[in-house]
Amino acid sequence: MPTITPEQIPDLVRKGASCRVDAALEPLFKTGDKIRALNINPATHTRLPRYIRGKEGVIDRDHGVFVFPDTQAEMKGAKPQHVYSVRFTAQELWGADAPQKDSLYIDLFEDYMEKT
Amino acid sequence: MGAHHEPPAELSTRVKAIESLLIERGYFAAEALDKIVQIHEHELGPRNGAKVVARAWADQDYKKWLLTDATAAIADMGYSGAQGEDMVVVENTPDVHNLVVCTLCSCYPWPTLGLPPTWYKAPPYRARAVIDPRGVMKEFGLDVPEDVEVRVWDSNAELRYLVMPMRPAGTEGFSEEELANLVTRDSMIGVAVALSPSAV
Repeated sequence: MPTITPEQIPDLVRKGASCRVDAALEPLFKTGDKIRALNINPATHTRLPRYIRGKEGVIDRDHGVFVFPDTQAEMKGAKPQHVYSVRFTAQELWGADAPQKDSLYIDLFEDYMEKT
Repeated sequence: MGAHHEPPAELSTRVKAIESLLIERGYFAAEALDKIVQIHEHELGPRNGAKVVARAWADQDYKKWLLTDATAAIADMGYSGAQGEDMVVVENTPDVHNLVVCTLCSCYPWPTLGLPPTWYKAPPYRARAVIDPRGVMKEFGLDVPEDVEVRVWDSNAELRYLVMPMRPAGTEGFSEEELANLVTRDSMIGVAVALSPSAV
């Protein structure tokens, strides 16, 4: 790997490095689908926070296809898949004492969810 | 949140060690790392995001574009790049107030907001913004009425979020530049609202 020089930096910062993948993969979920986040507890890298595991939510929108960090971090491949914004009510996450109207949106990979 | 201004010493030491290794092993020229810091300290910052919000306040077509394809609409103003590759803008309205957090680390839209404040990266904000957003916002001086829906956005994955605060009253006829002066960093994270003209 060649050494990165100061001259290369402005361009690298301006372009960034999106993990979006240009692949026409069929989405497993669509807006309005009811899902449950899987109760998985990997000891390795994941972008599925503990407070979401096992909770039920609704697909809000499909963001497109991205590299799957859980396998990528383990050098087990990019495993591209759709990422969705998923809405959970505050009461589903935190119980009946949470404000009835409030909600939480989080971006979840397909591998984190099952249909209910 | 006041007690969490400095990163822990152990973390600073670890970052320094990683920096040394990157240079010693020839991945980065030392000056290249300085250049990254320089760009993020001097060229990127919340004034960029403020200009995006001000344009959306002033131009309905731009606002529509920003809310449907934020990445392209923000790129149109030249604020794209690292940690802003895939953007979403969420709009505050009389019925909905949005708040952004990254519970897993400190994901934040650098091209539009610059580097995140220390409290945004600190565990107390990251843990409490999801379970008690109203309490956290109160500590920032923002009391969101009960009949307004609070939406917390956990930007834990690939997308980066920017809140579009509500345009303050009494700003009819303001230029985009005058409007941008009312848009603070905190109002684009969601822990504050935009300034009123009398506050500037």
